[in-house]
Amino acid sequence: MLFKNVFLGIFVLFSVLGCSGQKTDSKPAISIWHWMTDRDAAFQELAKKYETLTGIRVNFELYAPSDAYSQKIRAAAQGINLPDVFGILGEKRDFASFIKAGHILDLTFYMDANNNIWKNNFFPKALAVNEFTAGNSYGINPGIYGAPIDIMTIQMVYNKKLFSQLGLNPNRPPKTLQEFLDIGPKIQAAGMQGLVSGWGEVWMIDCLANDFAFNIMGKDKVLATIRGEVSYTDPDWIKVFSIFKQMQGSGVLAKGLVTMINKSAEQLFANEKAVFAFNGSWCVNVYKGMNPSLEYGAMLPPQVSDKYPVSIWGGAGSSFMVNARSKNKEEAVKFLIWLTDQEQQAYLSKVTNNLPANKNCLAKIPEVLAQFARGMDYATHPNIWGVSEFSLVIEAFDRGIQSIIIGEKTPEQVASEVQQIKERELDKRKAR
Amino acid sequence: MKNSFYYKSKKFVVNTLIHILLISVAVTCLYPLLWMIVSSLKTQDMIFKDISLIPHQFHFENYTQAWKEGGFGGNFFNSIVYTVSVVFGIVIISSMAAYAFSRLRFVGSKFLFIMFMAAMMIPIPGSFVALYVLLNKLHLRNTPIGYILCMINVGLSTSIFLLKTFFDKMPKELEDAARIDGCSKIGIWWHVALPLAKPVLAVVIVFNALAVWNEYILALIIFDNRKFMPLQVALQSFQGEFVTNYPLLMAGLTITALPIILVYLFMQKYIIKGVTQGAVVG
Repeated sequence: MLFKNVFLGIFVLFSVLGCSGQKTDSKPAISIWHWMTDRDAAFQELAKKYETLTGIRVNFELYAPSDAYSQKIRAAAQGINLPDVFGILGEKRDFASFIKAGHILDLTFYMDANNNIWKNNFFPKALAVNEFTAGNSYGINPGIYGAPIDIMTIQMVYNKKLFSQLGLNPNRPPKTLQEFLDIGPKIQAAGMQGLVSGWGEVWMIDCLANDFAFNIMGKDKVLATIRGEVSYTDPDWIKVFSIFKQMQGSGVLAKGLVTMINKSAEQLFANEKAVFAFNGSWCVNVYKGMNPSLEYGAMLPPQVSDKYPVSIWGGAGSSFMVNARSKNKEEAVKFLIWLTDQEQQAYLSKVTNNLPANKNCLAKIPEVLAQFARGMDYATHPNIWGVSEFSLVIEAFDRGIQSIIIGEKTPEQVASEVQQIKERELDKRKAR
Repeated sequence: MKNSFYYKSKKFVVNTLIHILLISVAVTCLYPLLWMIVSSLKTQDMIFKDISLIPHQFHFENYTQAWKEGGFGGNFFNSIVYTVSVVFGIVIISSMAAYAFSRLRFVGSKFLFIMFMAAMMIPIPGSFVALYVLLNKLHLRNTPIGYILCMINVGLSTSIFLLKTFFDKMPKELEDAARIDGCSKIGIWWHVALPLAKPVLAVVIVFNALAVWNEYILALIIFDNRKFMPLQVALQSFQGEFVTNYPLLMAGLTITALPIILVYLFMQKYIIKGVTQGAVVG
């Protein structure tokens, strides 16, 4: 009897649960899937405002963390269940595969309408991440396939209070490498920590080294090196490696930097233990949480040469794409145009401490964010170079710089080792 | 000739060493829990500035804020429904299947059992897209029943393996006696096999309850509607790509951990029995 009752109970429960999903789905006018936990509240607020203005309901659905979000988007693409608007995380080839499968609407027409009014709102380099140019290696029709919501740059920050304690002008950060190196002995004498960064997670070393390389030899020569036309033993590359030796020698780098993870680096800088940090623009939000009263400013990496412009990594932080199969695609595009307009971008930036993708609203956002955003004029990113380095070469390059910092190897030794790996990889590619 | 002092000293030294070892292990296990509770009572900047285990100020409001901002109310109820339904489904299906694999002779039993065991080797995330497409075709995507069926499926293999190992060792004479008393096959399973398998069932219940309670990726993929999401998904709202709201996350984790700690404490004596009786063989 008990057995039957239990089964009956479960049957009823399952029946109720099975039905409930079908009944509760109310259809929003525009549905947007995103992974940006820190921006969700601001998105919801903007959605309410848009509904008040236009009567069109916008439903932002948060699916975090980002790796689970990526899986959901892939699964939804397979089942043709993508929402009206969504973002794609990952490399450009993933983006291209979604376009090829017909999931993403080409926004070029809307961007170019009314004398490029929408397109001209954005930092051009933020758009570049969502753009496929003519003759691209992915075989995608040239066009712009996404609207950037915010941007990201990776620069240096300095602590204004510690600068004053060191007898330096807190409103004039070092501009040249020599000025930067000259601060090293002062930091040592004061018993402070110098530059902190997540160099234990080696990609940040790669980022700064590339910044120096672009400044010393220019973009063309860096890309020629990646293509295998210039050797890593070239004097310009030796100069890049030597900068790390110089920085270590001057005492401007913090102790234990080569094994430091970015969270520890952020904690050290936020707690006013380190004078400089090399970090992405997301740090503004992080520092605000860790120490709201921290006084700091953003600066470009020190200039090594005046032959070529200073360069930093930057581009679109996050972008939204419109579902090409959506019935609401016209409404979705209109919403994106509204979302990326000055007022909404300034609101998003102020509330979430992210950099706006709209270049015309810098006067309306906090100064430190504007400093980071102005860095977009110097921004580049591996995603838009059109060539990519072998992962083994990148690993040897980054590990080599770590060895230089700890005094294990000379810049020449590292350059030679990296070049050997590069030649081996090139030979393997030719053999294929 | 070794005197009693020698033996007493030896016993004291050995006991001391064992206690030091056990205390170290206990501290290692308890410290993260303690840190979680302490951090749930601090503010975000205090977590990074003040590393002491006793906060200068207790911020109990983090719990109410986490409950409200995470939308825990509905998610908490969902998690309870999913955990109870899935564990019940697994216990019924796996115990029946394990009993059949152990006692009944039918064509393809070995092959089927091997197939179930092989399913244990497939990493769950590897099957997400396939599950999504299947549920979509069955019109069960974005429904609690679809999620419950998937989770039952996920837990079956290990549970069948544990229970079959136990039933294999169970004396056949007990079943013969029940059969003589007029019990059917289902009756033997219900009146004889299941009551005897209590310690193993406790292991199955706790292992699967933990798995369902802590699962969120499959839920995130299957559900489009936030009202169906389990508790773990709500916790993710405190964790950003670069910024984590530690006080609310820790408060949320404490709330989330409590029910499962209670289940473990309630089932503790059965689990120990289950493990010592060789339930977790292999």
